[in-house]
Amino acid sequence: MKDKMSRRKFFAAVGAGGVAAAAAVVANKGSEEHKAEAKKAARQGQGYQLSEHVRRYYETTKV
Amino acid sequence: MARMKFLCDAERCIECNGCVTACKNEHEVPWGVNRRRVVTLNDGLPGEKSISVACMHCSDAPCMAVCPVDCFYKTSEGVVLHDKDLCIGCGYCFYACPFGAPQFPQDGAFGMRGKMDKCTFCAGGPEADNSPGEFKKYGRNRLSEGKLPACAEMCSTKALLGGDADVVADIYRNRVLKRGKGAEVWGWGTAYGKPEKGATPPAGAKS
Repeated sequence: MKDKMSRRKFFAAVGAGGVAAAAAVVANKGSEEHKAEAKKAARQGQGYQLSEHVRRYYETTKV
Repeated sequence: MARMKFLCDAERCIECNGCVTACKNEHEVPWGVNRRRVVTLNDGLPGEKSISVACMHCSDAPCMAVCPVDCFYKTSEGVVLHDKDLCIGCGYCFYACPFGAPQFPQDGAFGMRGKMDKCTFCAGGPEADNSPGEFKKYGRNRLSEGKLPACAEMCSTKALLGGDADVVADIYRNRVLKRGKGAEVWGWGTAYGKPEKGATPPAGAKS
């Protein structure tokens, strides 16, 4: 009887460990995806704007 | 969407290297790396021409095509940039580029050259805009500040044009129409006045 209980505990522990490992993998994947998303967003960045500075530059080239 | 382009007007370039200096200063580029340089054709001969060369941000960039780790990407404005965290310094891009734009901080064989460095059209890199990390790896991000590349803005004769390709093309077309041909290109008309229609040109005038 004692042995049976021990075996149950063992399987329970294995099961819990497996769930925890799966959760860690999923969480890690999520953070990698998050990093990739952040980098992608940075790549989009704020680019060219027809600002007053740029307009003034275009004017100076017409001399 | 604006398409970013450089254009160098060889008739105006006086080989002052102001663009090269502006670039090195703006981005604190290390010794041995020149993101931009001035090339002179027929140096010392009559009719020599100079042109300022850097990355041309090609539409179908060969550097992007040959990179084995796919570290290049193109922004929505057509600026070709790369990720130094992915670059392995193999030098394929250097061999593929017809303008010699990719530069390496160190000499040596495969793996010894360091990360590739090139003109970014003053648009930084994949890091957050104007972050210290971006500045350290790629230099200043002037585009996000509402400015244009330092080389083009600094050019004293406005030979080097940079910005929206439509605007740049329009500026250049108007220049060509205005300056005409022959001696007019190098300023005869500005110096001595344009000849009136039907009048005989002054003695010594070149056509």
